[in-house]
Amino acid sequence: PTGRGRPSLAAPSCRMEAELEPRARRLFSPAELLAARTRDRKVAQCSQGQKDFIPDGSEEQAERLHRCREEHWQLLAEERVERLGSLVKAEWKPREGIVELKSPAGKFWHTMGFTEHGRQCLLPEEALYLLECGSIQLFYRDLPLSIQEAYETLLSQGTVSLLQYQVFSHLKRLGYIVLRFCPSAVPSQYERQLNLDSYCKSSGKHHRKRKRHSSPRLQAKKPKGSGTPPECEGTPKKASDSCGSPSHPASGRSCLPEKSKESDPASGEVESVQVPTDAAQLSKPPSRSKAQAEDYGKAAGDSCSGTHLPRWDFNRIAFPNMASDCPHTFLPQPDERLLPENVAGREADATRWRKLVNQKREKLSRKEREQRERESRYKSSVNADREVRRCSNWQEYKELLKQRSQRRAGRRPSHLWDQPVTPLVKPDQVASAAAVLQQISVLQPSHILDGASRLQEDTEGMKIDFSVYQADAVANFKKNDPGKPYARMCVRRFDEQIPSLRAVKQLACQSEDVPVIFALVDNGDIAFYSFKEFKLPVDIYH
Amino acid sequence: MIRIHVLEGTALVWSAEEAREIRERFRLVGTLVGALARKPRQNAHLGLPLQLLPEEARLLAELGAAVLVRGTETQPPAEGEEPTQASEVEAYRRELEESYQEQQRLAGAEREALLARLAERIAQGRARRREQRGETPDTVEDSGLLDSPFVLPHDAMMVQLPTARRCLGQVERVDWTSPSPDWPHPGRPAHEARYRVFRELWGRGYYLSGGSKFGGDFLVYPGDPLRFHAHYIALCCPQGDPLPLRTLVAAARLGTGVKKTLLLCSPDAGGTLAFTSLQWSGLQ
Repeated sequence: PTGRGRPSLAAPSCRMEAELEPRARRLFSPAELLAARTRDRKVAQCSQGQKDFIPDGSEEQAERLHRCREEHWQLLAEERVERLGSLVKAEWKPREGIVELKSPAGKFWHTMGFTEHGRQCLLPEEALYLLECGSIQLFYRDLPLSIQEAYETLLSQGTVSLLQYQVFSHLKRLGYIVLRFCPSAVPSQYERQLNLDSYCKSSGKHHRKRKRHSSPRLQAKKPKGSGTPPECEGTPKKASDSCGSPSHPASGRSCLPEKSKESDPASGEVESVQVPTDAAQLSKPPSRSKAQAEDYGKAAGDSCSGTHLPRWDFNRIAFPNMASDCPHTFLPQPDERLLPENVAGREADATRWRKLVNQKREKLSRKEREQRERESRYKSSVNADREVRRCSNWQEYKELLKQRSQRRAGRRPSHLWDQPVTPLVKPDQVASAAAVLQQISVLQPSHILDGASRLQEDTEGMKIDFSVYQADAVANFKKNDPGKPYARMCVRRFDEQIPSLRAVKQLACQSEDVPVIFALVDNGDIAFYSFKEFKLPVDIYH
Repeated sequence: MIRIHVLEGTALVWSAEEAREIRERFRLVGTLVGALARKPRQNAHLGLPLQLLPEEARLLAELGAAVLVRGTETQPPAEGEEPTQASEVEAYRRELEESYQEQQRLAGAEREALLARLAERIAQGRARRREQRGETPDTVEDSGLLDSPFVLPHDAMMVQLPTARRCLGQVERVDWTSPSPDWPHPGRPAHEARYRVFRELWGRGYYLSGGSKFGGDFLVYPGDPLRFHAHYIALCCPQGDPLPLRTLVAAARLGTGVKKTLLLCSPDAGGTLAFTSLQWSGLQ
């Protein structure tokens, strides 16, 4: 017999085991179950009006409170009763940490779940949410789980924690599509710039099929020039052809994928290097590099493999200038070690070829001639300038331009420019007062991703948990290709330390261009915080 | 005895009657965090379980009104271990079958009653149809209203998805006085300070709830939060901890903005509590 009087403030006395007896079990009789078919499905708003300021002991207040409470308990005491045919049977597999569906999935399959080895499966948080909604019946060891048992069995630190589930179900109830975050599935900024993510997704299947046949090296040359098989992801510059002729293992050291369009002989550009079989031979003196230019016309390259940086230092390698104004015409025989086995190199004298270049006179149609005549009135070719022709490289040309602009600028007043403190701007340099202010601004505008990629991995234990997709995208949502999410969620407890800027930057970097929202849970109350971009206002209008 | 189920440091109550008792008898509010059974896909009204603050759970345990328990069968069985539940599975299946039979009987009876109520109209309708078709009225055939025995399809049976555990055998007690993985709060200085403030304010007859929405530790209500607004935002400031003026001004501003009084609570080592309330007033 448990004491039901006023609660005492004394120290707790010893309790009898009988006090753990269960209260009335909330199991329904068949009659109640059948009656539940016609239950009301509406939830009325709290119908007792606005809140009061202070309790004044009046009957009216007490009555309103009582009615409010009654409604509240009535709603809470209701149990879930569903038609057996509309429930999907599911089974919890603790070893794999997933829930396997035993009967075909319903409408929820459009946005939740995944297929594994031919079975339809759900993640634990998805299964728990569907159980709370009354869409599935969850079994474990052949017995159905109650909601409480499901909470205690499925939610543990290993799979998904209670906090994460609370945020997950909150967002799902609002209608969002919530998926677990997978860091490797985020396309990097460079990939998006190349529009690589859409290509990779669409041809992902082909990649898998191709791999089964043979290694990429022995593949036939791909017809499309813009493909990047996964090995080439690290290549910094252009997407290259994966040329196909096999390289001999003994001499297959260099990778010379040449662009088929290039006809310039001095264009042997090296994109990446295969792992050398003999590392010592890679440290070649620069003179040999001239020889590699010999291989024009022959696409004797291998598909790029790996993410190695080019081994040659192009600042020191000089490409011979074969143009008509340059006397260099002799090309020595290339080193045999640089060439594939069945290709023989020989020395060449380009004198004869050079004479044949630019032989044909350009024939212009009448329209083109007239246009040229019109343009010559106001346009002039840069190369017509003698001083420009004297420049032999870009550096000299830029020097020439700088000198000319300085000469044009005229003499500067000495009382301004000869002092220790000189003017900040010249009159012709800026066009508006705002630009002048920009010169003296102390705070530069910064973006959260500035410098984020250089930070080392140390997010103070924080990680992105979910990707959230908009509710109105449900109709077009494809589980295999969800697209760009609306936001990414990081779930934390409210009383934890506020993250440092470094950790926030790293999370933003992981999420690329999708904003990161922090979901802070304080004992059941969830609040969402995120950083917002804004610009400091400029003081004047231009 | 109220059973508070502990899940990784979170106190949950799964029974609606216990939730009611906690609120009406002990003046403790808690937060509902589950889906409402009647309408699960909305966030305005949530349902069971009721999540209690660690301070609320500790208070109930101290009063001797509740006991902290945790489930024991949450670990997957080890390799090779046979699940020894054949009898329970059998019992469950039997129960399901009995329920089905009973529901079929009840549904059949309902249908019969319905048909009996509408017998006259059905007969009239049939007679009219026969006239339209030009046949002679034959009363003998009209007598049998139920042509075949009623069969309730198995899929149309109603089943219950229970919220709370059915059998409470697999629970064990958790000691709320010493820290453990299930209940890590005892001994933490932050928790102890908060609990002292909570206990004192509760003892004076107020209702308390979590205060993170307003930048404080607790919200203090004069009556049930269903009917009254909060009066104070309680902020725990342990003695000796520095309180920057910025924080104080921010908290006071926030309180003024939402028309509540900021209450600074300072538990000291000696066991006394000092309360300081801040109200923003003009220079009058």
